[in-house]
Amino acid sequence: MDEQTVRENLRTFIVKDLIRDPDYDLADDEGVVTGGLIDSFSLAQIGVFVEQAFGVYIPDPDLTVAKMDTLNQMVARILRDIQ
Amino acid sequence: MEIAQIAVLVVISLVNALLPSQWRKWVLFVISLIIIYWLQPSLSIRWLDYTLPSIIIGISVITWWVVASREKKISPITALSREDSTSLVIILAIILLLTIPRYFDFPIALTSRPPEIWQVITIIIALIIILPLGSYLISFRWTAILLLLIILAFLIIIKSEVLSIHLSVFLRQQTGQDTGIASVIDIQWLGFSYVAFRLIHTIRDWQTGILPDLSLREFITYVIFFPAFTAGPIDRVERFLNDFRAIEKYNPFEANRFTEAAARICIGLFKKFFIADSLAIISLSHTSIDQALSAPALWLMLYAYALRLFFDFSGYTDIAIGIGILWGIQLPENFNRPYLKNTITTFWQSWHMTLSSWVRTYVYSPLSRQLLRSRYKNHVNIILLISTLATMLTIGIWHGITLPFIVWGLWHGIGLFIHKVWSDHTRAWLRRLRQHPGRDAAWRWTGVILTFHFVVLGWVWFVSSDLSSAFRLFLALFGVAP
Repeated sequence: MDEQTVRENLRTFIVKDLIRDPDYDLADDEGVVTGGLIDSFSLAQIGVFVEQAFGVYIPDPDLTVAKMDTLNQMVARILRDIQ
Repeated sequence: MEIAQIAVLVVISLVNALLPSQWRKWVLFVISLIIIYWLQPSLSIRWLDYTLPSIIIGISVITWWVVASREKKISPITALSREDSTSLVIILAIILLLTIPRYFDFPIALTSRPPEIWQVITIIIALIIILPLGSYLISFRWTAILLLLIILAFLIIIKSEVLSIHLSVFLRQQTGQDTGIASVIDIQWLGFSYVAFRLIHTIRDWQTGILPDLSLREFITYVIFFPAFTAGPIDRVERFLNDFRAIEKYNPFEANRFTEAAARICIGLFKKFFIADSLAIISLSHTSIDQALSAPALWLMLYAYALRLFFDFSGYTDIAIGIGILWGIQLPENFNRPYLKNTITTFWQSWHMTLSSWVRTYVYSPLSRQLLRSRYKNHVNIILLISTLATMLTIGIWHGITLPFIVWGLWHGIGLFIHKVWSDHTRAWLRRLRQHPGRDAAWRWTGVILTFHFVVLGWVWFVSSDLSSAFRLFLALFGVAP
């Protein structure tokens, strides 16, 4: 799975299912938790989505605001294990 | 910790800073091992104030042996590196040397009631025989689970008054002491609440394959790092390792580092021993609840209690961080202006941050994910409620397994759940509100006042010895005579 596919799948999931505003224009480096768009429960939802969509298990200590706040951080973390 | 103990720890840290830099890792390791015996309060049950720190060291060594293992069924003796062997010899030497005050009067009493040296030697030999044999019978995977259960069992015993008294009676029977005066104070195990969470963190990270490689010296120093031993902060091992491995290059007398350490220690002392102790005179306590004459007086006492808790604990954290800086270890922050947060969620992201972060990582996140994978995955709000209540219940009973602490945890759990559901429905509106700075500021300050009072009222559960006195206090706060 290439980077662009991971990025767009993840962006769609966050915007549609978590922020619940499909028209929201989420930037790659925008802080989704620190920007108040989602919360730590949504990070758990992202963890499960990543497992099911990309087959990558992100350990709980890596599922934190510091490590998973932007789309760029999330994609980099997922690609690390896909590759 | 008392002010004299803090002064001794600061002096030791300053003396260390004068030593050759290549000694510092070993000095920190040895000092931490000795200091946990020194800080442990004297207990009336024979040998116990020696045994409890020894159990911490024993469990930590066994945990390291499990989590540092890369191959199954290895002999722990032959697999040890030179540094690990030296560390083990030092640990055993300190444990044995600390029994000597039993035979001679020492000017500094590190332990008040050590057992006979032959008793300690017997236990060590038994462990050296049993552990390698055990490794052939039980895999490291199962040993890790067993260790988790043992650590949790110890935690539950020391957090439960009933179980602590039972243990005290049992130990008094074994040592031939009077069981009639058994009390919860007999089992005052300094630092174990924090040590337990550090050990659980390393075991869980080892189980998920993300624990970094670490030597026995590194592991033990992380678990019992003396500035954070008594009351945290609960550091993460990978962060601690980064600092510890760079200690030799660290210059504590570099102007800004030294000033920062001195400032943190002074601010901490001022907060803890001046502000918090002054507030203690007027703040609410078990005994002062019935002394307030009016509702306004009770509110004043409750505000004082809330501020005292903050200044006492954050002051202690400042001191711990300051001493840590002298050693080159930058401990994580525990508080970030919690009473100025405008939501209960941001309050918990800024109050006792290392504890709430630990519980979020090892309770909230795995439980939420497990439920989100289950067949109930579509009931998101129920999953959220269960995870949040379980998380806050853990924080509640970590303070003590009593009904008031449990209710205090649930109070915050329900508050967090309601806020999460509310914020899900108002997120878009809040984003629009940010475009109007005046209204946004008014909304934020309303949030600060509401959050502060939610937290302050929560302290009613925290300070009360039982639920009925908490209810009476609530009624009295709102002018209703009990």
